[in-house]
Amino acid sequence: MPSTDAMFPARTPLVQSPNGSGVVAFDSYLYQIRDLIYQIAGILQPDHRLEFLEKRCQRRMAIAGVASLRDYYDFLTRSANRTQELTELLNEITIGETFFFRNLPQIEALRKVILPAIVENKKRFPFSKLRVWSAGCSTGEEAYTLAILFLEESAGMLKNLKFEVLATDLNERSLEKARAGVYGDYATRNLSAYLRQKYFNPEGNLLAVKDTVKSIVQFSRVNLLDDSKMMFMKNMDVVFCCNVMIYFDGAARKKVVQHYYNNLLPKSYLFLGHSESLFGINQQFRLVHFPGATAYYKSEPGGGV
Amino acid sequence: MAIALSEISRKIADLDNIPTVPALLVPLLKRLGEPAENVSMTEIVNLISYDKSLTAQCLHMANSPLLGMRKRVETVQGAVMALGMTRVREVATTCCLLKALPSRPGALKPNDLWKHSLAVALVSREFAKRVGYHDPEQAYLAGLLHDLGLIVELTTFPKEFEAVTRSAVEKRCPLHEAEPDVLGVDHCVIGKMLGERWHLPSELKEVIRRHHDVDHATTAADLVSIVNLTDILCRMRGLGYGFEELRQVDLAEEPAWKHIAGLPKMRDFDLARFTLELDTYIEEIERLVTSLFNMA
Repeated sequence: MPSTDAMFPARTPLVQSPNGSGVVAFDSYLYQIRDLIYQIAGILQPDHRLEFLEKRCQRRMAIAGVASLRDYYDFLTRSANRTQELTELLNEITIGETFFFRNLPQIEALRKVILPAIVENKKRFPFSKLRVWSAGCSTGEEAYTLAILFLEESAGMLKNLKFEVLATDLNERSLEKARAGVYGDYATRNLSAYLRQKYFNPEGNLLAVKDTVKSIVQFSRVNLLDDSKMMFMKNMDVVFCCNVMIYFDGAARKKVVQHYYNNLLPKSYLFLGHSESLFGINQQFRLVHFPGATAYYKSEPGGGV
Repeated sequence: MAIALSEISRKIADLDNIPTVPALLVPLLKRLGEPAENVSMTEIVNLISYDKSLTAQCLHMANSPLLGMRKRVETVQGAVMALGMTRVREVATTCCLLKALPSRPGALKPNDLWKHSLAVALVSREFAKRVGYHDPEQAYLAGLLHDLGLIVELTTFPKEFEAVTRSAVEKRCPLHEAEPDVLGVDHCVIGKMLGERWHLPSELKEVIRRHHDVDHATTAADLVSIVNLTDILCRMRGLGYGFEELRQVDLAEEPAWKHIAGLPKMRDFDLARFTLELDTYIEEIERLVTSLFNMA
């Protein structure tokens, strides 16, 4: 059983343990670590990802020289290096999460429910522009995915509407790679033959994003904690911020989310990574559901709830 | 081409004679209002055991990780010992309901309907626990039976129901919005009629009648609301009727939300986390439903 002095009491899992039909029982400290990650970073590994979480922990345990999950939990909660170790573990969990058209329910919600409403709204404001922000864009897959989506709709729903994708990251190396726009198998695995052909040029074994796509995306280096820069990211319709908040502590997360809120137009959306949550971070955004996806919705100016 | 209520009522009376409805279902349902301890265990065990495939299904479900069992059970008596009478009664009701479904596939597949009912049952129970509703077991039964009216439609008005489903799939809207044009009523009204006939407890009848119209619930508004919200949540997480409704849902803006706002644990309830945890549920429910259907 978990020790009683645990920082966060583990919650009973929804699907309970074992008798051969697929669900395996895990060390109770794995549940503690899962809850710790959720409490601190807002990212939840649901029960069916526990095996994955266990493997990632084991990888870190080997490096840290820790023998059991119990000891590793202690290490994560008590050691002097706990913050750094948690970042390393989060890196292990979110690594390789970026490829084109990765979160399909999110993209479908944007295309089928959100965009039609935004377009309808903008009809009242001539000369307005659709502005979408990929915050923490890493190597650019998400930003280009959005650009491709808009290009695909440019003759239909987005006819007569200008659009742009702003993509920011702190890491200059990632940004360089993003601007180059050349990708391998992993990043392009979800792309249909049609999209490959239409928006990419083959370069040996790699695929290079065509200039038509690049012209829509503007990459720049922004530290999300830099108030002066954040003030300039105004009038956004949708913000994507996937697996970025995990690198901030509670106070910083609150600040970043508040910036998003201020920078978004009324009736606009913030998308987080698939397993991320804003619980306890912000109460102005409203959690909304779409088929298979969730988003945070800013309803009115000033955030009337 | 609305159908007269008298016609619906007559067809519902005929339901008692449908051979696919297991003999156990009606007695089980009639006594749902009583505490499980009052129900004779031997009687239930015997009734389940009469039916070989029902026994197999009940045991399979009892052993599902969704029920949280530690040890495998091999007999109905064993299941009662391990799970308790309340759970066994739930399992039996669930499996009986599965058997009552026609197998004929249309625009809405019977197993999708049943999967949805099971999902709403399980998720309602969990939701009830998380928000501090006093009787999670009742929430399970309420979730399981909330769409009783759809089963009636599927069984007794297959042609009209097919038209309802087609229209809902085409509009990507909830079924109850497509029903009135075709049937003149919705599954809430029809389900309530069957609930009356089967003498269901009044809270369960109210859930069946008002789960799409929470503000008009005259009793058990919190239970009705839990099922209403769970129903929407399940439909948004791939546990609906086999098609996706294209819309944005803000559960906290639903009328039901304010009816449960006063429940003890609502202040700390984390809907985002609950939603993410459902993904694991979905996989298990799919697995259970597939194997139960293969056993039918």
